Amino acid sequence: MWPQVLLTIRSILRDRILHAVLAVGLLLLILVPVFSSFSMRQVQESSIGLALSAVSLVMLVISAHLGASAIFRDVDRRYLNVLLALPITRSQFLVGRFVGLALFLCGCLSILAVCSFLVILMAASTYPAQQPIAWGTLALAFLGICNKYLLLTSVAVFFSALSTSFSLPFFSTIAIYLAGTASQEVYEYLVGSFGDKMPEIFRALSKFVYYICPNFSSFDLNIYAVYSLPVDYTQFLLTSLYGLAYTLFMLWASVLIFDRRELN
Amino acid sequence: MKQLAFGLVLLSTIAVTTYFQSEILRQRPTVLKLGPVPNAEVLKALAGEHRVSLALRSVARVMFYFGSFFDPNDNRLQKFPEYQSMFKHLENAVKIDPYNMDAYYFAQAAFTWEVGHAKDVNKMLDYGMQYRTWDYWLPFYAGFNAAYFLKDYATAAKYMQIAAKMSNNSLYTRLAARYFNEAGKSGLGLAFLETMAKGARNETVKGIYEKRIAAYKSLRRIEDAVASFVAKTGKQPDKLATLVRAGLMQEIPQDPYGGEFYLDATGKVRTTSDFAMMSENSTASPDLQGTGDINKQKKDKP
Repeated sequence: MWPQVLLTIRSILRDRILHAVLAVGLLLLILVPVFSSFSMRQVQESSIGLALSAVSLVMLVISAHLGASAIFRDVDRRYLNVLLALPITRSQFLVGRFVGLALFLCGCLSILAVCSFLVILMAASTYPAQQPIAWGTLALAFLGICNKYLLLTSVAVFFSALSTSFSLPFFSTIAIYLAGTASQEVYEYLVGSFGDKMPEIFRALSKFVYYICPNFSSFDLNIYAVYSLPVDYTQFLLTSLYGLAYTLFMLWASVLIFDRRELN
Repeated sequence: MKQLAFGLVLLSTIAVTTYFQSEILRQRPTVLKLGPVPNAEVLKALAGEHRVSLALRSVARVMFYFGSFFDPNDNRLQKFPEYQSMFKHLENAVKIDPYNMDAYYFAQAAFTWEVGHAKDVNKMLDYGMQYRTWDYWLPFYAGFNAAYFLKDYATAAKYMQIAAKMSNNSLYTRLAARYFNEAGKSGLGLAFLETMAKGARNETVKGIYEKRIAAYKSLRRIEDAVASFVAKTGKQPDKLATLVRAGLMQEIPQDPYGGEFYLDATGKVRTTSDFAMMSENSTASPDLQGTGDINKQKKDKP
């Protein structure tokens, strides 16, 4: 499996689209002190919020792009048949590919996080806030982003295992991301008094989507990091466990589908 | 050569269209400048983890919109901004991110003195206090609004006590006591404005406060002179020139808002500008005049 992991990382490093995405991400981070200086009373908070948003946006593009093209690219270039002729199983190939993607994502996030720390420090020094920067919470927020995008990558790999095109897995992943981001808010809205006025079938359908869709909002610790609020560590651990279980489940389902797929 | 000429033609076209476009865009209606007010619940759900950035953008748009009406030379508005739309955007911003301090700060700066909507601002501040539980500025603003604009001293004292407790600083208790013992309204206003101006880093907001501080200082000087005159002669001066003749003032102070100070029938110091932020040649859409709500643009002249 490890040669497969290394091969995946090497092929990702040659991807020019990713170079461009990372360059845009770094540019966004450089602009954070400029944009946050427009704030009247919360320069530090703005810089943290903007940096986390920029990193999350870049990670979304990277994980959807890489995950969606995880198998498609090899099928398209007919590398897959050559690879599968080697003494590796399909599941080893897929898991190796995912581990390669995950390691690359973690590396990218680490670089972006270090750059974020620097720009936040720079912006915060111009107008210190009432609350000092909670560096630990900020690190947890980055960890939350990491968990979330590993899960999203596994979703993208799942769709990639199903399809031979790039568009279907890519747009399906984005759709799942949007649904999973909004599902908690919609669920809370529907279980409140407003939900009583909605048709039963609509409520049942929304609840079904809520339970089946990965809940990406649970990984969101941005508001805690921005305003230095105390984090509920039990909830964080629970969410991490949920993320890990969901990621492994998606990987298992991907392997199951990929094992049975006709590849001619 | 032809290619270069073609490129230059394209560049010139871009430059010319940008020039004319910028003026057209500057004149576009408010609804296009600030944008329609979207449903905060929907935005909150869609924005997800980007809600902090979205709220920041919403407040920044309001701030830039408001700032575009300001003349940097005299810190006065050249046109009537659409306060109702501005306020709705700020309300939306705090619904999306209830911790956003800029929204509360800007609402306090722009919707109390000018528009007289301290009650609405206090509602927003009350909402913010549920979230920013460490921030003593919000009860401080609310306390000031309750005392100065709403004349509800009991509520004001309560807010000031909260501010004192949160900041762990008796300054607010002392301030409250000092405010509420002030005989003149201008003393209360001046103390608040000086505190706000010290913390302001946005030039537009700072300009608003500094101009008003200068106005209140002038007012305070005249009030003090009137009080001295009454103490000395036992009667009210008939006009401000009397105070100058009596040697209590070297000259009648200037009103930074362009008006003239005078004494009304009851002996109270007033100004023809009423310290209104609008400049003389400012324009307003007629439908916004005198609506009585947050759109109410001008105070009654004395």
